[in-house]
Amino acid sequence: MSETNMRLLVVDDEPIVGKRLKQVFGKIGFAIETYTDSVAALAAMAEKPFDIVVTDLKMEGIDGIEVLKRVRAMNPETRVIIITGYASPDTAELADREGVFAFLAKPFRLDELKQVIYRAMETDGLKA
Amino acid sequence: MALRDLLKGFPFQRWLTPKACRPLPLVFSQFREVLKANNQALEIIADMGEKLSGEYLFDLRYVEATVEEMIAAMRRAIGAINILTQDQCATLHEVFASMEARVRAILTKRDDREGPPLLWLAEVETRHWPLVGGKAAHLSELLNNPKVRVPEGFVITSRLFHDLLDLNGIRPEFDLFEQALAESDVNEDQLDLLRQALQKKVLSAEPPSGFLDALAGFLQRLADLGGLPLFLAVRSSAQEEDMDFSFAGQFHSELQVPPQAEPVYRAYLQVAASLFGAKAIRYRRQVFPEGGPMSIAACCQRMIPARASGIIYSVDPMEPGSQKMVVVGALGQGQAVVEGQVPTDFFRLSKEEAPRIVEQIIAAKHEALLATGGMDGGLAMQEVPEGQVEAPCLDEPILLELAAAAIHLETFFKRPQDIEWTLGQDGVLYILQSRPLLITESAREKHLLSEKLEGYELIAADSGRVAQQGIGAGPAFWVETLADLKEFPEGAVLISHRDSSQFVQVMHRASAIVTQVGSPTSHMATLCRELRVPCLVGVSDIMDKVANGEEITVDAEDRRIYRGRAVELLTYQATTTMDLHMAPEFRMLRRILREVSRLNLVDPLMQEFSPEGCKTFHDVLRFIHETAVLHLVELGRDDRCLPGGLARRLDLPIQAGILAIDIGGGIAPDAPRDQIPFSAVRSIPFRAILQGMLFPGAWHQEAMQVSFQDMMHSMMTTPQDTLSGQYTGHNIAIISETYVNLCFRFGYHFNIIDAFCHDVERDNHIYFRFLGGATDIAKRSRRATLIATILEAFDFSVKTKGDLVIARTGNLAQPEMERTLDILGRLIGFTRQLDVQMTDDQAVARYAEAFLMGDYGIVAGK
Repeated sequence: MSETNMRLLVVDDEPIVGKRLKQVFGKIGFAIETYTDSVAALAAMAEKPFDIVVTDLKMEGIDGIEVLKRVRAMNPETRVIIITGYASPDTAELADREGVFAFLAKPFRLDELKQVIYRAMETDGLKA
Repeated sequence: MALRDLLKGFPFQRWLTPKACRPLPLVFSQFREVLKANNQALEIIADMGEKLSGEYLFDLRYVEATVEEMIAAMRRAIGAINILTQDQCATLHEVFASMEARVRAILTKRDDREGPPLLWLAEVETRHWPLVGGKAAHLSELLNNPKVRVPEGFVITSRLFHDLLDLNGIRPEFDLFEQALAESDVNEDQLDLLRQALQKKVLSAEPPSGFLDALAGFLQRLADLGGLPLFLAVRSSAQEEDMDFSFAGQFHSELQVPPQAEPVYRAYLQVAASLFGAKAIRYRRQVFPEGGPMSIAACCQRMIPARASGIIYSVDPMEPGSQKMVVVGALGQGQAVVEGQVPTDFFRLSKEEAPRIVEQIIAAKHEALLATGGMDGGLAMQEVPEGQVEAPCLDEPILLELAAAAIHLETFFKRPQDIEWTLGQDGVLYILQSRPLLITESAREKHLLSEKLEGYELIAADSGRVAQQGIGAGPAFWVETLADLKEFPEGAVLISHRDSSQFVQVMHRASAIVTQVGSPTSHMATLCRELRVPCLVGVSDIMDKVANGEEITVDAEDRRIYRGRAVELLTYQATTTMDLHMAPEFRMLRRILREVSRLNLVDPLMQEFSPEGCKTFHDVLRFIHETAVLHLVELGRDDRCLPGGLARRLDLPIQAGILAIDIGGGIAPDAPRDQIPFSAVRSIPFRAILQGMLFPGAWHQEAMQVSFQDMMHSMMTTPQDTLSGQYTGHNIAIISETYVNLCFRFGYHFNIIDAFCHDVERDNHIYFRFLGGATDIAKRSRRATLIATILEAFDFSVKTKGDLVIARTGNLAQPEMERTLDILGRLIGFTRQLDVQMTDDQAVARYAEAFLMGDYGIVAGK
């Protein structure tokens, strides 16, 4: 497992999320891109696939579930992690059906997300 | 309901004692209700505090919802203490109401308009920060820092700014302007028109009635402090300025303002109008786009007649990894330096314990900005006398003093600093402001960080928990006892076995803290967050891996510790930490926690330990807890409130004569009715004390020889705590599974230990009180000093007065509580009749030493 050059995309309409994750994951060697707009994020993914996508659930326009669906359609290898302050069992179940890798409720510890991302990297297809 | 259930089936009649005495189990269950409510509130506070460590991602919704929960929990705690004390703490309701109002003002972003329009810098408290702005907040902190000198002065707060908007009918335009600014699609022309209109209106705003008189009063008091002639520097102190953003040079300053209310007010208007200056608005939109509305205060300080002035950077921004500092300076006032109006001397200094000058380039300084000398103030460029043109603006001793101050301020504020200094005509070095130094590093280098760090030996990886995020480096300094704190060096990393809120004494000097045990929700962790000290707790083997004095780097983000000084990591930190603290949710949470989590009422033995002395939520909770404990302490003191017929004798191998009253789970159900053996005692704290009393050698059976004189004394004086009643001459222990209230009425002294002990650390307390003796006051006082000395060695907070000793401790984990109570048990035995042997002052030290070494035989003369 190696963080170097692991491609990570973050999309969340709260700017703090992208900024913060860029710091944390940039520091340990991830190639990370962050977006506050899901349309722009999807465009970036269409250009070149990412290994891991972290997306907010509630966003204007295209929401997290939709991002999940489209990413899975474009590149089934990509692991998608949904982060949200509005976790309900229903959406969790829906996300599960659509093949989400993990569902994380805000507020969460950055270390928790880190561990989830490490687990995602250890699953098949992503081993360096 | 729960309470009634708890007490159902209790034989109340037997417990009912003379009037005004509530049944013991009821009082105790009310006490537990207080603990429960207190805990809920403390847990919410701790939870919010932990979010601020930087370890979490959260949003504004979280902040709002949690504040509501917290306020509700506070109300429950205040309700519970008033039930226990039968409304003796009714004033807490009022005290808390004003605290709640302040927190709500933060939530609704009105905290910069509630408070006085004028405040002395020296009287600025953290709760005033939104009102006085960032620069003044920083300066007020520096004013209380004995290591630097700051010119005295006062603040015209943002309260005045808001009053001006309201009184002069400017508010609607202001709101319109802020609204326009917040829109992503800004109409530039409209914004510019609004901006100019606002500027004009602010410049001609009329002051509220009475303001100029109040201002004149402040100016008079400043003049009375001495140092003639008085002129003022009126500088902007915007919300957030200096705290999180540099805002360097974005707002207006007026220098050498004459000390009359009218010109100072006009200067303030200039400063306030600069909030709407084209330059400031551009800056705001660039670096602070989600900042929300801003207001502006002004710092009015005594102008220092300057010999030389300039800037020092505590890190060389061109080479952040080089361990160098940079000074630029010129003759006269510093405004000429920051605005680049004059050639400046340049110095580079090494950043180490004893800094050295490593490079200097001296400019020809033909002109200096100096006071015109007129009564109406003002500064002007003036010619420098021939002999001084080529000379350095600072001589070496002053440069080194400045360098030491910069190193100190960097440690104090936990970030590289950009510091404005001035050297007065009197040769005194003053700090005019200190703000975070922004360093930019290329993205490419950032990416290579993890590779560069591979060159350092990793002492700990993924170890412990983060109490406060950040990166700090320095020599490791082991703190094994609190006395070690006195030797704590500037910039060191504090290494300790356990955490302690006492570390606050050195936090301003510490670059990081690492403890072997501890939790991110402890008092110490809260303090670390307030003072932004990077801190890892629970790094179990740190003391085995790091030698005292060895240089280490603590990365309290990725939970790593490196051997040596990882300069790349420190550089990385200097270039990145800004982002986090500038997020609106962080700023709001931080402000709320300032009102909530700081603990001012540290010592219950101090006078201000009263409802009125409470400044924060935490203070209120602390007050409630201590009051509840004191309420329990009184239980055992008054015989009249103890039930008859329920006391059971203990059967111990020593002649302690203790009667136990069990109010729930303190004695095994199958124990005999009377003559209860030690093995049947189930009360955790009581058992621990008995264990200590039974420790081999700690209890002395032989009666001491009392001299005739001592006898006379004892017959004439009776300890005032002794109350007569049914149990006179008995030692009473009121116990439950988690509680003990032990009252010794040995011979002529009176001793209470009240302790609550279970697995929730912060509920736990020990209260110890000792009074009297059979000998003369000198001997009794010596014994009191002996007891105090020993208790202090075990981290009790202690107060003595004559032969009275009151000591407290608490917030300890259960095993530590049991150990401490065991020690108290031994101490009771050890000092029981020791006043007889306290013939001189040397005896105190001798016996204290013996006790601490475990040599209990000294009492028997062995």
